[in-house]
Amino acid sequence: MDHTSTFERILRGILLALVVLFFMFPIFWILLMSFQTNESILRMPPSVFFTPTFDNYIALVTGEMRTAAGSLQLNFMQNLWNSVLLSTTSVAVALVLGVPAAYAFARFKFRLGEDIAFTLLSFRFAPPLLVLLPLSLYFKSLGLTNTYIGLIWVYQLICLPLILWIVRGYFEDLSPDIEHAHRIAGYSWFQTFRKIAVPLALPGIAAAGLLAFIFSWNNFVFALVLASADKQPVTVGALAFVTASGIQYGQIAAAIVMSVIPTFVLAMFAQRYLVEGLSLGAVKG
Amino acid sequence: MYDKEKGLFEAFVKNKLSRRELLRTTGKLGLSAGAAGILLTQAQTNAMASDFDWMKYKGSKVKLLLNKHPYADAMIANIEAFKTLTGMDASWDIFPEDVYFDKVTAALSSGSSEYDAFMTGAYMTWTYGPAGWITDLNEYIKDPAKTNPNYNWDDVLPGLRASTSWNGVPGGELGSADAKQWCIPWGFELNNLSYNKPMFDKVGVQPPKNLAELLEVSAKLTKDLGGPYGVGVRGSRSWATIHPGFLSGYANFGERDFTVNDGKLKAAMNTAGSKAFHRDWVKMIQESGPKDWANYTWYQVGTDLGAGASAMIFDADILGYFMNGGDNKEKGNLGYAPFAANPAAAAPTPNVWIWSLAMNNAGAQKDAAWYFMQWASSVEHDLFGARKMDFVNPVRASVWNDDEFRARIDKSYPGYLNQYEVSAPGAKIYFTAQPLFFDLTTLWAENLQKMVAKEIPVDEGLDKMATEMDQKLVEAGLG
Repeated sequence: MDHTSTFERILRGILLALVVLFFMFPIFWILLMSFQTNESILRMPPSVFFTPTFDNYIALVTGEMRTAAGSLQLNFMQNLWNSVLLSTTSVAVALVLGVPAAYAFARFKFRLGEDIAFTLLSFRFAPPLLVLLPLSLYFKSLGLTNTYIGLIWVYQLICLPLILWIVRGYFEDLSPDIEHAHRIAGYSWFQTFRKIAVPLALPGIAAAGLLAFIFSWNNFVFALVLASADKQPVTVGALAFVTASGIQYGQIAAAIVMSVIPTFVLAMFAQRYLVEGLSLGAVKG
Repeated sequence: MYDKEKGLFEAFVKNKLSRRELLRTTGKLGLSAGAAGILLTQAQTNAMASDFDWMKYKGSKVKLLLNKHPYADAMIANIEAFKTLTGMDASWDIFPEDVYFDKVTAALSSGSSEYDAFMTGAYMTWTYGPAGWITDLNEYIKDPAKTNPNYNWDDVLPGLRASTSWNGVPGGELGSADAKQWCIPWGFELNNLSYNKPMFDKVGVQPPKNLAELLEVSAKLTKDLGGPYGVGVRGSRSWATIHPGFLSGYANFGERDFTVNDGKLKAAMNTAGSKAFHRDWVKMIQESGPKDWANYTWYQVGTDLGAGASAMIFDADILGYFMNGGDNKEKGNLGYAPFAANPAAAAPTPNVWIWSLAMNNAGAQKDAAWYFMQWASSVEHDLFGARKMDFVNPVRASVWNDDEFRARIDKSYPGYLNQYEVSAPGAKIYFTAQPLFFDLTTLWAENLQKMVAKEIPVDEGLDKMATEMDQKLVEAGLG
């Protein structure tokens, strides 16, 4: 039975609207900036009324930026593609390697099992700058410098521990009885893993995959140090709008809007899994 | 007909024909601008190639690491001239300035041979040089077998040549006889006033000529303009806050960052003269600077001037140059003035930032890399960039004397040539070269922030800072 008065409901609505406005305002402002020229953005006092322009988006897509010092070439679409490629492939590789490993850590006891699991987790704690110099020396010897394969390999430092530990927790929360019943019916452990464990753990796997994707997407330093300009992700590429001859605020805003879209779409799609997967996988009984 | 046109451009390159005569004659011959450009590049290439075997490394390819900057754009726009001249190829990686030096440091410290040459600032070579990451270029410049006879190294402004060479001894004088040439100056900026002429006219003030006037004029501008603030200077917690206007004014009073006795460094920021300068500087920011000065970098200082949020800046002259164009609100409204902070000084003493070219010591084809570097820093390329692109400020005296360049600057940037000419004789690096440069100069900026925020009195703050710096110098074996 609902005892909330009309006044309380209205007050709650207003307060919720204020909270949403507070948190969404920067994003809304960036969206507005992306349709303005630099002059319009920098006018004093700022205003929400302006003549919209698509020039910022056109500059990003066509790869040509007009600045005080003339015309500059941009590689933003290449950067965006690099981010999509690196993040997607890294997460896919990490899922292929991490989900079976997580299952093994959850279901089987073997020698040095916990040590191996913690070693993999420790990759998340190592500051990237600490490992980058030795890594760049190894990359040079192995011929992996400036290759997508090399970068995807390094991105496993981000993705693999995350997937392994989240999915492991999720597998541990599932009762093994169903799997045992399936095994008694004559199926192999791999069939049990594929037909029973993975489908049941799917929300957790999706949540871990999405988180790994977001962390990969936000990574900045690995590609910067280990690859050339043509393989840089969007996080590095977005800095190209900060030039000696001025900051292109409109294009930065348009770049932010465009670079948020893939993660945003993915997050909307997997929202249900994300909440369910994280809450179930993280709480231990 | 074609030979006649080629002859015209060859005569121009050899200075037998003036630019005016060349333009008149090409006009009569009905040459398009595009065709004239091609013929001029060919003539310049032929002139450069006549006395030197530029084709020695034909077929090789150099790779460059570049910062996203108008200087790099000018080079890329003219790269066909290099390829035609040498038969070599060139590729490059360009990174934004925010991350550029991280990339350079990672590449050099890992001993990577990927890049043959790269852009750097002179201050950075104080780290790269002693670490053995870059090559002493004297062995190339002074070798007639490796450097073309028309290179004319002496044409590069003497203050810049000296500022990019160091003997590696902490506190050692820049440009000393035993100094190593760690990099080649490519383009540079000195620090003077850039100001908004309509705002100055509205308030009825003239560009200040010394620090006392700067305080007075900027306070009046702040008060009378009713919105824009008087003077923009940098204030972030970074070495870059100290090196532009601040150090230029500081050096004008004869003040130093460190003293050197028997090879030992000692902080010199707590002298009576230094304290007086700091007090004025702090007062100026408190009264007439931007509200969130402590976050101000190159970008904010420039953006405010271009957007009409500030009336004047004491910063790099090329920052004022850039803000006078593009889509800036105040485009065309900016003027430039030389500035000697000390009323008793004979001339300004601007500290300089020099974008330079350095050679990777781990590079696998150093001689070929030097071919690129000498072309990129040649008179011909410098002229191309200064006339056609925004390759300002040029580092060569001959380019500053070029009529076409001067006419272009004088037309669109009134006062720019004058501020340069008055200041150029005193333009050099005024910091003491030493390996703790970035740490100690950032500490200086941090203390300046505290003084402006009134967290610590100026005199007491400088005494404490000098003690802290001396301790760090001793710990590093430098003091």
